[in-house]
Amino acid sequence: MKALTFCLLFAFSPFYALAAESVQAITWLERLSQSFKQLNFASSFVVVKNNQAEPYHWAHGVSEDGVQLEVLSLLNGPRRDTLRRDDIVSYIEPQLPPYSVKSNQISGPIPQILSGDIDQLAENYDFISVGRSRVLGRSAQIIRIVAKDKTRYGHWLWLDQETGLLLKLAIVSDKGQLLEQIQFTHLDITEKPSGYLTQLVETEFPKVVEMPNNNDLDVLNWQVNYLPKGFTAIKANRHRLALTKQPAEFMLFNDGLIDLSVYVSKSEDQQRAVSYVKDGATLILNQVVDGFEVSVVGKLPVKTAQNIADSVAFKP
Amino acid sequence: MSESKLETVSLLVDNTQTSQDELDVLLQDETLSDSWHNYHLIGDVMRGDVASNLDIDLSDSIAAALAQEPTVLAPQKKSFSAQVKAKVIQFSKPFGQVAIAASAAGLMVFGVQQNNADNELDVVNPVIQTVPFGGTASPVSYNYAQPSPGAQKQALIEQQRRFQALLNDHNQQVKLKAATASTDESSLEPKNALEQANTPEQENN
Repeated sequence: MKALTFCLLFAFSPFYALAAESVQAITWLERLSQSFKQLNFASSFVVVKNNQAEPYHWAHGVSEDGVQLEVLSLLNGPRRDTLRRDDIVSYIEPQLPPYSVKSNQISGPIPQILSGDIDQLAENYDFISVGRSRVLGRSAQIIRIVAKDKTRYGHWLWLDQETGLLLKLAIVSDKGQLLEQIQFTHLDITEKPSGYLTQLVETEFPKVVEMPNNNDLDVLNWQVNYLPKGFTAIKANRHRLALTKQPAEFMLFNDGLIDLSVYVSKSEDQQRAVSYVKDGATLILNQVVDGFEVSVVGKLPVKTAQNIADSVAFKP
Repeated sequence: MSESKLETVSLLVDNTQTSQDELDVLLQDETLSDSWHNYHLIGDVMRGDVASNLDIDLSDSIAAALAQEPTVLAPQKKSFSAQVKAKVIQFSKPFGQVAIAASAAGLMVFGVQQNNADNELDVVNPVIQTVPFGGTASPVSYNYAQPSPGAQKQALIEQQRRFQALLNDHNQQVKLKAATASTDESSLEPKNALEQANTPEQENN
């Protein structure tokens, strides 16, 4: 009996082929990316955060001419639909006239990188194949995506063994606390895209937004001196926050998986202690130092966001 | 008859002398002992002696609930081989699953507490509802370190609004990320569609 226990312990110990697990995990993630692009499926999922559930419907298909079609709709509250035809994505939201952007990925609850080139993440994240489980009545493979430098949350993925599609995704803190999760509640894989999707081929999409070319990163006279490894600046500009009309200087960073926004603006207060709120895994941190308000928004732990906010300084 | 008994209770509350017979009757009558309790409570309220949080006496309901509880018999001790077997099964589970299950349980408990807190907030002051517009359909939960009533309430509302504005803008910018990346040679008229897009929103406010 003792020998058996020992054998089982050994089989599941970390000594067990760590490198092989990593290679296996990458293969799974590449398969997921292919499935997202190639399969015809209709699905429903629920985003659980803040003790609330947001239900979505999501369908993807490839037309006979090889055009990718995709629809993502929020099912509760005011209508929020996202449509995609190849490299045009349209957002239909309350309080805004519909608009389109040029992109071959929808920006929604599911990280875009999962349908992109996962190898981009390899430098800063480890991929670990954890084990098997049952999700949505299917046999699922569990993959963890963990930042190498421990400054970011871990992403846990449950992938369908049969099709490679996503069945569940959880964002988990390093202490194992579940911060946000996406649970699929329905998945239908079909030979051909549904009629609903094929209508998109003829649909006239809203005009593509052309943003002013103010991406010059030197336009601002401040800089962020600390960022976790792998984050690069995507854009920088000045604009007003829609809700408060407050003018702010803004930089967007991305590490392949996570988007991070830094805002700097003049404040009426001279000093204000740091405060923050969490929307699921998304942290919004805000402080005023020497009359300047610095805010950091992104799916990051408080400590990391605080370090980023503290490192904002005027250029010499 | 009950009128006169109530009067006796009232006298007792006021520390007036009553006969032993009357006392015996009172002690046997449950509704009257309730009245006794209520009179005292009323007196306390009128004197302003009651703590701001009414300490409701739960002992009765708890006693009743306990009486309803089925008797739990101590489980029989498992044989040694059964114990070992159970342990082996636990080992063979992937550790990840256990960790996730534990964290899910943690979240549920947290959720219940959160709910209670929300209910209390509803009574005291309504939850601030800012207009969602970016990527979330609900206002963000509030974790500010110094909850303080009255004068700072306005500051808190302001703070909440600021957080919501930042979150909305972040979500919006992420969606527009691709738009900037693809227009390198943009010599087109500046700020067209998005500027227009923001106008109706401004009118709303």
